[in-house]
Amino acid sequence: MKFSTKSEKSNLYGYSNWRYKAILIVVVGFLAILVIGFIGLNFGTIAIQPKKILSILWHHKTDDSLGLIIWELRIPRLIMAMLTGMTLASVGGGFQGILRNPLADPYILGVSAGAALGACSALAVQYTAGLYLVPFLPVFALMGAFVAISLVYLLSRKKSHLPMSDLLLAGVAVNFFFSAIITLLLAISRRETRSMLFWLMGDLSTSSWNNIYWISLPVFLGIILLVSSSLELNAIALGEEEALHLGIQTEKLRLKIFFIGSTMIAIVVSFTGLIGFVGLVIPHIARLLVGPDHRIMLPVSALSGSIFLIICDTIARTIIAPTEVPIGVITALIGSPIFIHLLKRRNENNGY
Amino acid sequence: MVTDFKPIVSLEDVTFSYNHHPAIQEMNLSIYPGQFIGIIGPNGSGKTTMLKLISGIITPQRGNIKIFGKDVRKIPRKKMAKIISMVPQESYITYNYKVKEVVFMGRIPFINQWQGETILDYQISQDAMKKTDSLPHAEKGIHQISGGEVQRVYIARALAQSPKILMLDEFSSHLDLSYKYEIIKILRESLKEEIQCIISVFHDLNLASYCSDQLILLNQGRIEKIGTPQEVINNYYLKKVYHTKPNIIQHPELSIPQVIM
Repeated sequence: MKFSTKSEKSNLYGYSNWRYKAILIVVVGFLAILVIGFIGLNFGTIAIQPKKILSILWHHKTDDSLGLIIWELRIPRLIMAMLTGMTLASVGGGFQGILRNPLADPYILGVSAGAALGACSALAVQYTAGLYLVPFLPVFALMGAFVAISLVYLLSRKKSHLPMSDLLLAGVAVNFFFSAIITLLLAISRRETRSMLFWLMGDLSTSSWNNIYWISLPVFLGIILLVSSSLELNAIALGEEEALHLGIQTEKLRLKIFFIGSTMIAIVVSFTGLIGFVGLVIPHIARLLVGPDHRIMLPVSALSGSIFLIICDTIARTIIAPTEVPIGVITALIGSPIFIHLLKRRNENNGY
Repeated sequence: MVTDFKPIVSLEDVTFSYNHHPAIQEMNLSIYPGQFIGIIGPNGSGKTTMLKLISGIITPQRGNIKIFGKDVRKIPRKKMAKIISMVPQESYITYNYKVKEVVFMGRIPFINQWQGETILDYQISQDAMKKTDSLPHAEKGIHQISGGEVQRVYIARALAQSPKILMLDEFSSHLDLSYKYEIIKILRESLKEEIQCIISVFHDLNLASYCSDQLILLNQGRIEKIGTPQEVINNYYLKKVYHTKPNIIQHPELSIPQVIM
């Protein structure tokens, strides 16, 4: 009798309390962000002693120039990098889950480009028509992102199902198309080249407390909504029909994830421009670290994304100081070798 | 055979076509509780389509399908997931989940999104793994185990869903002989417990004959014959449907027909 002789395990298989695990991960993650963030604060065009920084932080000093540099420049920028990294990585993880494709991310699917084009067009209209549209940039970015994801969706949708390879190809096409229009706008409106270039390569130098107030609520709300869809995203990995058999309304879930993801991306992109590779690479790393269960993987993605972007931004603003390198350049330079390494590893292990 | 019960699955004049290619035509059928139903027929005769129709994955252009007397179209997906579970023929799991995680997914329809799972959900998943002998692989990745092992994990997942109707689409293609016997035994035993009816698509006529109380022989989207294996697997019907003259012998111990080359 093959089935009855197996010795019974006293513990329940599968019963690892993931809630404690998740809380632990979040606490450790935030501590890591604090430490790395503090190290990041030490770097900059003006060297400030770590002791001095601590005292500035402790006394909340903003009355001298060093205090201003810390409180009004470096800290907002740090928090912005954290929020941006979180958003890009968790939305990437969500998109990879819902599309059952480890190559999906908001950048490749054209959502980021859509948001950037939305914001750029607003700027172009502003200069030609003389309307002041800067406060409404997130709204335009949102419209651009929704146009992009709808285009991708409608282009690839067949009668009853959504072939994932088509979706990715449509995304790549929309991404190139929208990026081309941004470049065109750039070529036409020469006067504003500098500020538009920002949308193409990503820039955190405009971070301010005001921006942070704007984006933190949608970012955290969005992450909570994504994480709350984790079990459904897990079921999707079994396949579209299998998920239906598990009671998941796949079409509804897809629209929900697209909506949440695009909104988060649009809001972030309207303040930081296009930053690639984070949404693609970080979820891979998260899966390598903790496995594919979205309940753990998405929070880990968000936290790793923060840490990654804080490090990249620190490099971007110091490596050839006082000149800044666009952060998108750094993420791509670091991200693409990691990505290639992961792909190779994946092929070797036949899984990851 | 209990036939004075109400049917748990009934099809009334069901017609379904994919892009004007008829797959199921004017089908009428009643399935009663306590039975192992085998669906057989040549490629493209509508076997898998039938499963999809019954589980409400696709809706017929004409006719009605009822589960426990209720129109399938009116049963919400989540409720349906508590009635029917499905063992797919082949399916690729995108990410390398652990075996225990895959089996646990069978509990998803029962888990409240905000309250989370209970220890009972883990207990049921573990029992299902034990039944299918998947427990030794519990910590392995689904991409690291063999085809037959994956099939047993799928069966465990479907059992963990604690369905009233279990549907299988050629569940045995990668299973070793010993596991075939064991799995069939488990399935038959489950019919005495919670599961009220098993509907399985078979490619292998002998296995179908071995497993099923009733066989449904499909031919070009229509039911050619319903009956016991003795009534269905004979020269007349097989020749009519498969256009070849098979050699049929009787199983040496069981009184069921077997087809040999």
